[in-house]
Amino acid sequence: MMTIPRKTRLYIWFRLLLLQASWNFERLQGLGFFYALLPGLRKLYSDEKLLAVSRKYVGYFNTHVYLAPMVAGAVLKLEEDQASGNADQAFEVDDFKEMVAAPYAAIGDALFWGGLRPLAAGISLFFAVKGILWAPLIFIITYNVLPIWFRTVFFARSYRQGIKSVEFIQKHRLPDWAIHTKEAAVVVLGGLSAFMVFSQLTRLQLPSWLGLLTIIPMVLLVLVARRGFSTLLLIFISVGSMFLLGVFWADMVYLLASWGVK
Amino acid sequence: MVISFSVGAVISLICGLDRVAILQVMISRPIVAAPLTALFLGEPLVGLQIGVMVELLWLARLPVGAAVPPDDTQVAIASSVLAIIMGKTLNASGPELLLLCLLVAIPLGKVGQYLDHYARQYNVRLIKKVDSALDRGSLLGAELQHLRGLSSFSLAAIGTYSIILLGGLLAIPFLWPLLQQPLSYSSDWISLALPLVGIAVILGTINVSRAITLFCASFCMAFLLMWLV
Repeated sequence: MMTIPRKTRLYIWFRLLLLQASWNFERLQGLGFFYALLPGLRKLYSDEKLLAVSRKYVGYFNTHVYLAPMVAGAVLKLEEDQASGNADQAFEVDDFKEMVAAPYAAIGDALFWGGLRPLAAGISLFFAVKGILWAPLIFIITYNVLPIWFRTVFFARSYRQGIKSVEFIQKHRLPDWAIHTKEAAVVVLGGLSAFMVFSQLTRLQLPSWLGLLTIIPMVLLVLVARRGFSTLLLIFISVGSMFLLGVFWADMVYLLASWGVK
Repeated sequence: MVISFSVGAVISLICGLDRVAILQVMISRPIVAAPLTALFLGEPLVGLQIGVMVELLWLARLPVGAAVPPDDTQVAIASSVLAIIMGKTLNASGPELLLLCLLVAIPLGKVGQYLDHYARQYNVRLIKKVDSALDRGSLLGAELQHLRGLSSFSLAAIGTYSIILLGGLLAIPFLWPLLQQPLSYSSDWISLALPLVGIAVILGTINVSRAITLFCASFCMAFLLMWLV
């Protein structure tokens, strides 16, 4: 039987949007998780018991921000069972929280930060490069569909299922989704690079075949990036080289023009 | 100038909070934040161009665990405001000015990384206050301490924005007469190079087997299609 009213769960869901408001290096999202769950805990416990349970939740907690509602839903269900005396004595809520937080964080980081974000950015940049002002909106929509789905549907589902909500991750092979999303991102970024180079060459009325040479510096840059060079250093090396080449080229053109060569 | 600064500051605050503390609906990404800022200042295309150049630069730096990436949000917002203010002050326009604003702002993005780090460090103090609030039996007090964390992230966002803007306002009037002409020879190529560097860094860190092969195949296929069709 569900004892936490729908209105309270909705309130908890909104509070989960503030999960990282007090993110810190000691307990990471711990205070945020406590803050989000508190309205639910208030419905289940009172007085000293509520304070004791609250102390348990202000401790260390860290997971992916979009998968935190999934953890929160299941934790609420477990607390509810515990409060009503139906809990599995061998399984503590803390154990569950610790057991799922790190794997969920790893899956979320790979899927959302590592895969979906570059994919959505790549798609929207096609529009932005064309000067279409809707590009930011395209990014927001493309990116947010999946996180909103995870945040809403899985919060409700994990509240219904409790511990069993973990089975969803196993059944749907979310880590594989992450790999496929990253692969899609690489393909989109390849297409985007080609599009930007081709557009530039067309605009400057230069031969198109030159664009295929872009592959060489790109592969070199990838190899350098893999060796751990800082992005800032790569930016300044690339920009500096372009700048010096530009000045050199302009001087050469000027020199040749002064010699009467076109 | 004051209005432009204030509009930028409000957007910097909202987007800065979206970056870590609240929502995470990605309005903090440069491709959104820069055009949004420029839209409010009446020149959305300036923001869009800056968004294109900044979006991919640090996308490979994931906000995983305790890792804090450079603040590309404030770089994008402050560069947009700088480009618009400087355009009016110096009576200049074009990709050279955008690039100069961006190239001054990019290294200052590191300041954002430090301030963000400091905000998270500062929030450690809230833990003790929460613990003592719970010892007093005050749940409301503990809740409020969590919300106080928002102020440190807000200050970090506004601080970064102000530092980048101030740095730009001081440096660009001196650099512009020196670099306007030389930048005009290479601005097209630098504008292209910035997103390509970002893509290369993403490919270098994305942890996909055969990422280079996949990228090259996709690049060549798309390029040939555009060339031949």
